Amino acid sequence: MIGPNGSGKTTFFNCVTGMIRPDSGTVSYRGRDVTGKASHRIAAAGIGRSFQLCRIFPRMTVLENVLAAARPRGIAALLGSARGAAEIDRARGWLHRVGIDHLEGAEARDLSYGQQKLLELAGVLMAEPETIMLDEPAGGVNPALIDRIAALVRELNAEGRTFIVVEHNMELVMSLSDHVVVFDRGRPIAEGPPDTVRADPAVLEAYLGV
Amino acid sequence: MRNVFERRASSWVALVVGAAALLSFPLWSPNPYILSAGIVVLSYAVLSTSWNFVGGFTGYMSLGHASWFGLGAYGTGLLITRAGVPSFLALGLAGVIVAVLAVPIGIAALRVRGASFVIVSIALVLVLLLVFQSWRDFTGGSDGLVVPRPFPDLLPPRAPHGVLLPVRRAAGPRAAGWWTIDRSRFGLGLKAIREDEDKAQSLGVPTFAYKLVAFVVSATFTALGGGLYALWFGDLDPIFQFSILIGSYMVLMALLGGVRHLFGPVLGALVVGVAIEYFKVSYGDTQFHLVATGLLLAAVVLFMPDGVIPAVAGLLGRLRPQQSSIREVTAAELLEQNRTAADRPDSTDSTDSTNGADRAEVRR
Repeated sequence: MIGPNGSGKTTFFNCVTGMIRPDSGTVSYRGRDVTGKASHRIAAAGIGRSFQLCRIFPRMTVLENVLAAARPRGIAALLGSARGAAEIDRARGWLHRVGIDHLEGAEARDLSYGQQKLLELAGVLMAEPETIMLDEPAGGVNPALIDRIAALVRELNAEGRTFIVVEHNMELVMSLSDHVVVFDRGRPIAEGPPDTVRADPAVLEAYLGV
Repeated sequence: MRNVFERRASSWVALVVGAAALLSFPLWSPNPYILSAGIVVLSYAVLSTSWNFVGGFTGYMSLGHASWFGLGAYGTGLLITRAGVPSFLALGLAGVIVAVLAVPIGIAALRVRGASFVIVSIALVLVLLLVFQSWRDFTGGSDGLVVPRPFPDLLPPRAPHGVLLPVRRAAGPRAAGWWTIDRSRFGLGLKAIREDEDKAQSLGVPTFAYKLVAFVVSATFTALGGGLYALWFGDLDPIFQFSILIGSYMVLMALLGGVRHLFGPVLGALVVGVAIEYFKVSYGDTQFHLVATGLLLAAVVLFMPDGVIPAVAGLLGRLRPQQSSIREVTAAELLEQNRTAADRPDSTDSTDSTNGADRAEVRR
């Protein structure tokens, strides 16, 4: 998803993930109406998300940040140890996957911004979503890390996860996406494969400013 | 790793010594005044620890926990005097009643956050104060309610240990409850709520249910503390039971000791409770003891914003041999990392790792 600042991309994310209730319209996911459902229910339905300004739990350790997203099943599991061996293994697996497993004991607030972005992604993945919504994954990170994140998204996509990405980095959007939607003033003005959208005059005017 | 074990061992030693000192204190307390003041301080510790189940874990600062304290005290007292229920059964029943009441109140109050939640909690105390003052026929109003005390044989001259019975009964379940929650997934969820509630919910934590459970547990523990107060002191007055000051003391003690630790509120109660009693003696009938208490709290908040426990731990940490920072890597190591783990993002991130080291140092 692309579009000028204030065009409603993040608002769309918030409506879908239950952070805000839409004034009108419906949200359905896998044939189920999830309009206005609480965000933990939407997470349970299989949608995970990241935040534009990278939200983590700053005063918890890196490992705890990921463990917090583990989904306990039943009351007994809820009162069981937060550091069960199976969960720790899974959490470490995701930390390794994003490449910050060596920092698991550090407090999250001591990480660099790029590392915090990776940590947020590991937490989202821990909740086992089938659909992952990333709000500006490349915002504020260095070029090498953007490549790393892009590679990770491609890998995870190949494993069967669907990504919806809001991004201003055109190169990244065009290289990652199968389908691009352009937002302007709260509504989609164009959509289609990257090449089609890139050539659309309305898009050029609204967003690319050409 | 070794550092962790050392730290754990030293905290266990501190725990055992502290517990022994507290529980044996009737034996070495020099006079009856100190003894009764000590009981007051320990009651504060119990109440503040109860408050911390919601304040410490979820970060919801209830200034109105005197509601639960008062309801527990009056519930126990009224069950004994109006219904003839045996003392300790009345205490248990009062706890159950408050737990049931706390559910709808929690559902209403926990819908709002931050300052709004604080105000709702204060409003609850004021409403209850008015109800208990006005409903004279039932509660005795401002004439007070005298509760028969079940402890005649437990008073100091006859049984020096007996005086601590209520505190012991109160401390066990709270410590066990805290320990269970602290290490559980439920506890981790609560801490996530404290850090960032919306983020926690987006990761799938059913935040409202979690908050409500913590709220009810905290209210129930506080009510049981209030019930024990009623049984111990035997004299209730709405203006004291439903007082903003009691609720504020619970919060301030917990903040002062450190809300992230089981023993934070206990330590806070020792410091603040002793100070309050000392100021009361020093400044007699004037209100200056409140000013002095306020100054003490201001000093702690200014110099130890996270509470005494983290401040002291930080001080001790500085005296220990320095643990190397997570971000300190030599240039050679960095080179090695880059070579061996070319796909590791932190190596690409190495430019800001030096800044990060500075930042970590400053924070420590």
